[in-house]
Amino acid sequence: MRVMDCRNFKELLDSYLCGELAVETNHAILGHAEHCGACRDEMAARRALRQSLRRACSREEMSAEAIERMRARLRAEAGLADRATGAAVKTGRRGWLTRLFEARLLVPVAATAALLLLIGGAWSLYVVWPKAGPEQTVAEKNRVPELSERLIGESAGDHRNCAAKFLNATEPAEMPDSVREFDPACVRLDKVAAEGAKGLLLRSAHVCGYGERRFAHLVYTRDDRLISLLVTKRDARALKIGDVPPFDGLSAGLQQYEQVEQDRLALGAYQTAKHVVLVVSDLPESENRALAERLAKPVVEHLRSAELSRAALNPEERLGRLSPREWNRL
Amino acid sequence: MEQSNSQQRLEAFEAEAVGYAGQLFRVALRVCRDREKAEDLVQETYLQAWRSFHRFELGTNLRAWLFKILFNVHYSRLRRERLNLTPVEETIAETIAYDPPAPQRLTDEEVLAALERLPRDFQIPVVLSDVEELSYREIAEAMQIPIGTVMSRLHRGRKLLRMELANYAREAGYKIAN
Repeated sequence: MRVMDCRNFKELLDSYLCGELAVETNHAILGHAEHCGACRDEMAARRALRQSLRRACSREEMSAEAIERMRARLRAEAGLADRATGAAVKTGRRGWLTRLFEARLLVPVAATAALLLLIGGAWSLYVVWPKAGPEQTVAEKNRVPELSERLIGESAGDHRNCAAKFLNATEPAEMPDSVREFDPACVRLDKVAAEGAKGLLLRSAHVCGYGERRFAHLVYTRDDRLISLLVTKRDARALKIGDVPPFDGLSAGLQQYEQVEQDRLALGAYQTAKHVVLVVSDLPESENRALAERLAKPVVEHLRSAELSRAALNPEERLGRLSPREWNRL
Repeated sequence: MEQSNSQQRLEAFEAEAVGYAGQLFRVALRVCRDREKAEDLVQETYLQAWRSFHRFELGTNLRAWLFKILFNVHYSRLRRERLNLTPVEETIAETIAYDPPAPQRLTDEEVLAALERLPRDFQIPVVLSDVEELSYREIAEAMQIPIGTVMSRLHRGRKLLRMELANYAREAGYKIAN
């Protein structure tokens, strides 16, 4: 251990005041202070400085209105009647739907779109989304999308590129067993989804890709409208470094997006710990939302239980469903 | 039935967590440097916390968990706004060999003014440690930086703060120890 001279004392003094030192070092600090008046004074001065900092900062209070607004949003989020404000968040429906939150992205100005076309080509249209403008209300601003813009773009792109090929497909469609290579949880995905797909015609089941993103893809039609159900794996590395939201987005319910470049696409998404399930179509937003709930729900439940049973077999596979304590260890 | 269940859960959450709003707000203020943005950040932090409250383990440190979510929300907003985190000027304090003693008899206003002049990367760990009394490890987890970085930023941040205050004190003609 270092000799406790005045220099070391001053180096360690703040950590001593924070209670961050080992017991022996604490003793050494106190021992030094006992016979060195200058260091004793320094200790008193730094202690006073800490107290002064605490007093000065503690004057800043969150306003009572802001706290009340926050409580109101929590009540709305919990699906409880919002007596205080009533307006901010839709809570009309219960159960699964109560936790539904929207991320309605506002229509971009035409100029932005034109500029993007010039600089990025058509591809960037998928990827770049309009930013929340200052004209938005607080409630709208707070409906933060949890999906990355990139994934939204890739899913929309895959729907446009791939699903269209199967609009008039006639062969009976079945998910090939080779899907196992992509993800064992997606084996028999078509059967799992069938429960929510009543009234839809399955045109194709396959694994495909858009850019670097891979999807298990079910293509449906209803009255000549194309509907894609896409399952993709969340990026485990990105999860770890916090690039994608670490929260299991399922708790937030269905997220609804609308893309208004070119042809209008509606996109509803659920996250599980390790997957994202998306329903993309050119149906009106409300219809797509209803369909997404119905179609994606059994798939999401299936994936969750597959994730859990794999996690039980292999504890290291549990990324994404980590407790705060486990997160801390990452 | 379901509603009363939600009600109970929410009440439990509020009872446990909302009391920390003031502390979160003070840190949010340092992070955002704007009252309205800070309130918004705290609100979003609580919404996120509520959404994953079912996975919070009772008995672990709720306050540290909330701070962690706060920085998570903050960082993902920065990313969304396509802003890069400001690079830390690690060299600022490196060159300062002289460690001034803590001045005495300064007013809280002077201390606050000096704090606000610190670069944000130093200011935030100092507030988390000296005001909110988070441990070094909790700060590292909340800010998602290595603990060694926390320690060096704290060391330099405190040193810079004392320099600022020493200048003040000298100008005001206060006594400085040593």
